[in-house]
Amino acid sequence: MNVETEKRGVAVQETGSTDLRGGLIGDGSPLDEPSARGSGRGRRSTAAGRPGARGRRRSGNRAPFGFVPLAVLGIVFLALPVVGMILRAPWRELPADLTDPGVLTALRLSLVCSVSAVVVSCLIGVPLAWLLARVSFPGRTVARALVVLPMVLPPVVGGVALLLAFGRNGLAGQWLDRAFGITLPFTTTGAVMAETFVAMPFLVVTVEAGLRSLGQRYEDAASTLGAGRWSTFRRVTLPLIAPSLGAGAALCWARALGEFGATITFAGNMPGRTQTMPLAVYVALQNNVGGAIALSLVLLVVSLTLLIALRGHWFGSR
Amino acid sequence: MSLRAEIGLRMGELGLEARLSAESGEVVGLLGPNAAGKTTLLRALAGLTPLDRGRVVLDGELLEDAAAGTRVPPDRRRIGIVFQDYRLFPHLSALDNVAFGLRARGMSRRESRDRAVEWLTRFGLADQAHVRPRALSGGQAQRVGLARALVIEPRLLLLDEPLAALDAGARVELRRELRRHLSTFAGTCLLVTHDPLEAMTLAEQLVVLEDGRLTQSGTPDQVRAHPRSRYVAELVGLNLFRGTATDGVVVLANGSELVLADHDVGSPEVFAVIHPRAVALYRARPEGSPRNVWPGTAEGLEVLGDRVRVRIEGPVPLVAEVTPAAVAALRLDDGGPVWASVKATEVVAYPA
Repeated sequence: MNVETEKRGVAVQETGSTDLRGGLIGDGSPLDEPSARGSGRGRRSTAAGRPGARGRRRSGNRAPFGFVPLAVLGIVFLALPVVGMILRAPWRELPADLTDPGVLTALRLSLVCSVSAVVVSCLIGVPLAWLLARVSFPGRTVARALVVLPMVLPPVVGGVALLLAFGRNGLAGQWLDRAFGITLPFTTTGAVMAETFVAMPFLVVTVEAGLRSLGQRYEDAASTLGAGRWSTFRRVTLPLIAPSLGAGAALCWARALGEFGATITFAGNMPGRTQTMPLAVYVALQNNVGGAIALSLVLLVVSLTLLIALRGHWFGSR
Repeated sequence: MSLRAEIGLRMGELGLEARLSAESGEVVGLLGPNAAGKTTLLRALAGLTPLDRGRVVLDGELLEDAAAGTRVPPDRRRIGIVFQDYRLFPHLSALDNVAFGLRARGMSRRESRDRAVEWLTRFGLADQAHVRPRALSGGQAQRVGLARALVIEPRLLLLDEPLAALDAGARVELRRELRRHLSTFAGTCLLVTHDPLEAMTLAEQLVVLEDGRLTQSGTPDQVRAHPRSRYVAELVGLNLFRGTATDGVVVLANGSELVLADHDVGSPEVFAVIHPRAVALYRARPEGSPRNVWPGTAEGLEVLGDRVRVRIEGPVPLVAEVTPAAVAALRLDDGGPVWASVKATEVVAYPA
């Protein structure tokens, strides 16, 4: 039978590649896609096509019924808003819109607040991440839950909570007010606090994951070589978690930049003081749509840039 | 630079209780099966794992006393460790890795680099000074690890299976180099290994750790001649038995008897060893001078060059070493019943 197949030149079946004795040829696992190399008995299967005959091999995965149209719907749903923004943007008026003093103020304020939020997040978040990753202290589970909480809490609820803690009559706020005369709500500092509250968890979680995956091996080695705790952190740990720290800081910054609910609730909506870009967009939609779109485009570009910069972190084959 | 340590600690499932001492310039080999607690012991000496009980005194300085609650942190112990997985800092060049310990102690960058270059040259790695660890071969990386530990002039050098991760060729080379450097090392050295060859060739004293307890200590020759546990006996390739000796006969737990040539071993509880070479095999019960004749079944063969080791199961389980010709003549690869005989003069007994 083999000889006849050979004579026919090109082999036979489409479904699987069984040789005549009922076994499966291919490199071993019956789940292998049929191999064009055959098993040395002279048979060739074309179920997948001979490599080179068509350039690239098709993956051969067939989607369950209905998946493809649903997936296409999903992509369209996600793409349409972005496309719409780009198509409907008033490109000619853009330079004027972008240099409008109100717009510039919001931009500058957003930059100042978000960068400050990142700095504070790093200063507080890195030690916190280190403790969570390295020290097993009583209440660690609770601490970790608190860190993750702002990531799932509705931002406006976060703003309310901040008011109850730091407002004029808040838990800590009343002490600050009475002892130092410090008011936090409806100030730029308040805006920074609101942004830090929602964005710091991203940094902490990323850095903690980085520290855990690094493990303590190098820190142990450094300590036996004579490096004290600070020295070890500075010369060994920090350089080795720099990628995680960078990714965490970038995510933190993106989140801080885009925060709306907590900022408007705790810091209010005062132009030049607490009206960050997302708040300005919301307000501008009422009477200055061009400005709103301009600001939105800026935020879109920032987001896309971050996405591209962090693509290894999100989707990379690490 | 002498070391006196009493270590008691619990690490998960393992309870480690060991007493260790070593003199200046001495290389002590710590042998043991996996999960015996060797690495835990090393970490305790280095200060990376706190003791539950005991104390560690190095060169007269109290490094740790569990009862008093005092503990010198690892960075102040002046101990060097070489790890099995090298642990070179990936973000630093070979040179900066070696210089790390010196820099950490406050030496200037220039001077620490000079010293590092000196040590790298001693290991023949001057050309690799500016190479990152990921570009080094296993043997090169471990040399850098060794240089990094030695450059700080530690009082105690701890080597945690330093050759285990290397391929056979690199291992032989590095063993030789290690021997050379250890002979000129002034401090005390503790070498953890599960390789008997490494232990025998590098160490002057051997200590065997099994299941968190020390089962034996002595010179390599002593340990080789008088194993005191199944693990060591297998390591050195001897048949080991334990029983009570009366009048030149050792009675094993299952009632079998080993006849000795010595009538006075010195204690009623004894170990007895028989070298596999001393075991003769027959298909029929032999009549002759050997006093020790036992029945058994040939269960497995292991070919080692021009010798074959045959595992005999029975009342006196043995490993016999015979020639391939003997295996063929007796058809030992078919298994089946055999008789084993050992001359009394070949049975060595010593107090347990």
